[in-house]
Amino acid sequence: MSNEVKTKEKVDMDPKYITTLTVTLLVTCLIVAALLGLVNGVTAGPIAEINQQKTEQAMLAVVADPDNTTFSDPLEVSAAMTDAASAAGGTLGAVYEAQVGGASAGYAVTVSASGSQGTIEMMVGVDAEGAVTGVSVISHSETSGIGTKVVGNEPTASGVGVLDQFVGKSAADGTLTVGTNVDAITGATVSTRGVTTGVNAALAAVAAIG
Amino acid sequence: MNLGKQFKEGLLTNNPVLVQVLGMCSTMAITTSFFNGMGMGISVLVILTLSNVIIAAIRKIIPDKIRIAMFIVVIAGFVTCVDLLIQAFVPALSESLGVFIPLIVVNCIILGRAEAFSYKNGVVASFWDGIFQGIGYTAVLLVMCIIREFLGAGTFGGGILGADGAGIRILPEQFPMGMLTLPVGGFLVLACLIALMQWALSKSKDKEESK
Repeated sequence: MSNEVKTKEKVDMDPKYITTLTVTLLVTCLIVAALLGLVNGVTAGPIAEINQQKTEQAMLAVVADPDNTTFSDPLEVSAAMTDAASAAGGTLGAVYEAQVGGASAGYAVTVSASGSQGTIEMMVGVDAEGAVTGVSVISHSETSGIGTKVVGNEPTASGVGVLDQFVGKSAADGTLTVGTNVDAITGATVSTRGVTTGVNAALAAVAAIG
Repeated sequence: MNLGKQFKEGLLTNNPVLVQVLGMCSTMAITTSFFNGMGMGISVLVILTLSNVIIAAIRKIIPDKIRIAMFIVVIAGFVTCVDLLIQAFVPALSESLGVFIPLIVVNCIILGRAEAFSYKNGVVASFWDGIFQGIGYTAVLLVMCIIREFLGAGTFGGGILGADGAGIRILPEQFPMGMLTLPVGGFLVLACLIALMQWALSKSKDKEESK
């Protein structure tokens, strides 16, 4: 390496040219932004509807008795719950109370935790005794064909679906950890770990409800 | 520029994946089922064609010094539009392609064609270039999907055909090599395809020279 100081190529542009550059780029950005606004206006409705449907389906998928369960509006999330979830490594979203015949039968909790490619948002059902009744993934950006195996609840080496294995686990089992009391999908350990963190966070949050 | 030549270039002699070796990331990552390959191929085809046309149309007013920035703005705009439309109207596809749709912004095929072709050619030629390069990309994706799905999972048409979109089973369940659906399988299949393509191209070149 030589210690020569490279002299920067002198930018010798006349101000008029610079103005042209700026204006051209600005106008292009404005047009593109307007176009995006237009498309967003068309798609915002359907996307929100799809997400709403997904949330409802996800809630029904994680309770023990989907045919008779109704859900409350999202409960107020207290700081204690948020803190408990964060301490377990996840981020708490909304908490819904599951009701069977008007009586509380547990909670459906949305939590997110980081997977291998991004955040995995999931719904965890917890019954009144604090045991997991089901786990399902709402949104994720895991690798197609690898991490999506976890999302699709494919069986692990033990033969149980990777999401189904959480059913029945509770805070009494201690912190859930991949390799000790949770089986991972081969090749998708990081994604499995993400889901496990989410379940831990959900259990912690529910325990903090009271 | 004639259409026949452009078509041949897009599909064979200047195929974006096998000859220009562009867009490797998406090629490797999403070619695990037929539905994915189809969806990704068509998305890229649409975005490539639109961005080619627009860039060709405004190429005279794009200042040379900021052309890359302009290309990216146009491309990112279209990608976001397509991403939103897919999320709203083909949710199954957006779920299985995940983050790879927004990542089309940095797919070098699109920027590459903008720089190499549409910045220097007219709107009509650029339109066809987008279509043919898109078809070339889609064709390679589909071939890779079919090979990897067949050898890796033992099925055909995963995502659309068969019960629950699981694909039609061709190989009994114990035979497939799961490795091929992992990234390493993507590298292996792609390497074989590129080798095959280069061999075929050099052979046809030899033939032409000996004439």
